[in-house]
Amino acid sequence: MIGSLRGLAVTLATMMRRPVTAQYPDPKRRLPIDERFMGFPSLLWDYSNAEPYCTGCMVCVRECPTQCMTADMSDNARFVSGESTRKKIIEKFEINLGRCILCGICVDVCNFDAIEMSHEHELGKFDRNANRADLKTLLVMGKTWQSKTGWSPTKTKNIGDPDIRARRQADEKAAKAGAVPVEVVSLEALKRARAGATGAAPGDGS
Amino acid sequence: MTALEVLYYVLGALGLFTFLSVTVMVLTYVERKFLARIQQRMGPMRVGPYGTLQPIADTIKLIMKEDILPSWADRPVYWLAPLVIFLPALAIWVTLPVGEGLVLRNLDLGLLYIVAVSVLSVLGLVMAGWGSANKYAMLGGLRAAGQLISYEIPFIMAVLGVAMLSQSLDLTRIVNDQASIANIIIQPAGLFIFLMAGLAELGRTPFDIHHAESEVVGGPFVEYSGAHWAIIQLAEYVNMFAIAALVVLLFLGGWRWPSMPFEGTGHDALSLVWFLAKTYGIVLVIFWIRGTYPRLRIDQLMAFGWKVLVPASFLNIVLTGIVLFYGWHWSVLTVMSSLTLAAIGYIIYRRPGTDVRQDTVRVVSARDAGLKPASQAAKPLSGEPIA
Repeated sequence: MIGSLRGLAVTLATMMRRPVTAQYPDPKRRLPIDERFMGFPSLLWDYSNAEPYCTGCMVCVRECPTQCMTADMSDNARFVSGESTRKKIIEKFEINLGRCILCGICVDVCNFDAIEMSHEHELGKFDRNANRADLKTLLVMGKTWQSKTGWSPTKTKNIGDPDIRARRQADEKAAKAGAVPVEVVSLEALKRARAGATGAAPGDGS
Repeated sequence: MTALEVLYYVLGALGLFTFLSVTVMVLTYVERKFLARIQQRMGPMRVGPYGTLQPIADTIKLIMKEDILPSWADRPVYWLAPLVIFLPALAIWVTLPVGEGLVLRNLDLGLLYIVAVSVLSVLGLVMAGWGSANKYAMLGGLRAAGQLISYEIPFIMAVLGVAMLSQSLDLTRIVNDQASIANIIIQPAGLFIFLMAGLAELGRTPFDIHHAESEVVGGPFVEYSGAHWAIIQLAEYVNMFAIAALVVLLFLGGWRWPSMPFEGTGHDALSLVWFLAKTYGIVLVIFWIRGTYPRLRIDQLMAFGWKVLVPASFLNIVLTGIVLFYGWHWSVLTVMSSLTLAAIGYIIYRRPGTDVRQDTVRVVSARDAGLKPASQAAKPLSGEPIA
């Protein structure tokens, strides 16, 4: 009998408490995402050189246990013009987020600080193939993550730019003002653009 | 009966039906919200502000759903059962007063009518169980019938105790009789017995043995869907509201106690509000009990009904009779009834007769078996006796 009454008291006390439920799809009532949260992989932006860190070396593509990635490498046009020290640059990159198992192996094997697990985690889409993220999407995801976490490079060759924070903030400001978030210029793309402009067939470098 | 009277009763019945339907919709929402809060959830939040339109969405869904007939079903019995469940639930309300003069037809033998009619729902449950041609439904229906015999006697006896105090079976007179002092103060044990028997009659936790989702997957209603299921559900909630209303009328003084300030029309309106507030309070207690206790087994319900409630309800009547016969002050009955309630509590607490251990495997500790730990064990015999 005493136990029964105590049970009633327990349920009454629970009822007086506030529910902790976060009503998930409602953007205003979600729980905050922790900084160390591991969502889908994203490509990072090198603010020192205004291009992706990714060189298209394919090591992540090879190590991926679910083969959810594809990548194309090309020569870096900005290396030719002397603006960058990066000889090769990523031309196309695609991650099928529906296949990704968020294991983080791509992050571990990357030699260039190029890929990190972002905070993106939502898979609900209206289209069968809508979960394929292309290079631009991945770079925007990476930039967002970099801004949110204040990430700075960890590989020796990338450390050393003292202005990286200021550059990032300037980039964020420009993005807010409506600038194109990411622009990757590869040599192939440059050639194609030149060929298209002059109407000539793509040359072999001559 | 003139045409005007016929019109009055038809309109009255329609009004009653509308009132009850709206009440049931409110009750389903309140129950889901209340249970959710007990479990630290939020309950319905999506349809309308704070999910308030959820009952309407549910109703539309239920009406639009396909009404399935199992191919082996006993057709007439199957289609008739929801009506047999629902009509008594509605018929009770004909004579339940919900406020000063707010009653469709006040009967002199109102309590007898209510007790007699409310039992008929069980027939509908058995019919639903039989008609479904489903083993779970059949078991559920028979459980409902088996449950009936253990709660019906204390239910009637608790009602009788109140009738003895008021010397009437007329609900309005019983309420008016409580203007100065409510029956809960005179007969607390009667209230407890009535509420417990009422819960068993409703088939609500902890006595929802014939529903028992985990055992008979919903009992007699397994095969029902769509509008027929909605009617059964409607009957359940109407019955629950009726039991809560009966508790308020019989024990909490209805709309008369404690007395209200206004006179005339204001008084009538306030009496309805006062009555509904009390009834919803009792309904919340029923939800609260549902959120707290697990389900009893059928034998536990039987034991509780026959060994606790039936003797206690007879004792209640005998004590009431003695006090009335000798014309003692009502406070004597208060003391006696409180002692009865305490005795019931003690019996529930100690549960005499249930401490007979029926273990199939007995775990015996080493010490009880006379064994010693290895460190203290006697040295193995090596041919010589230990000195």
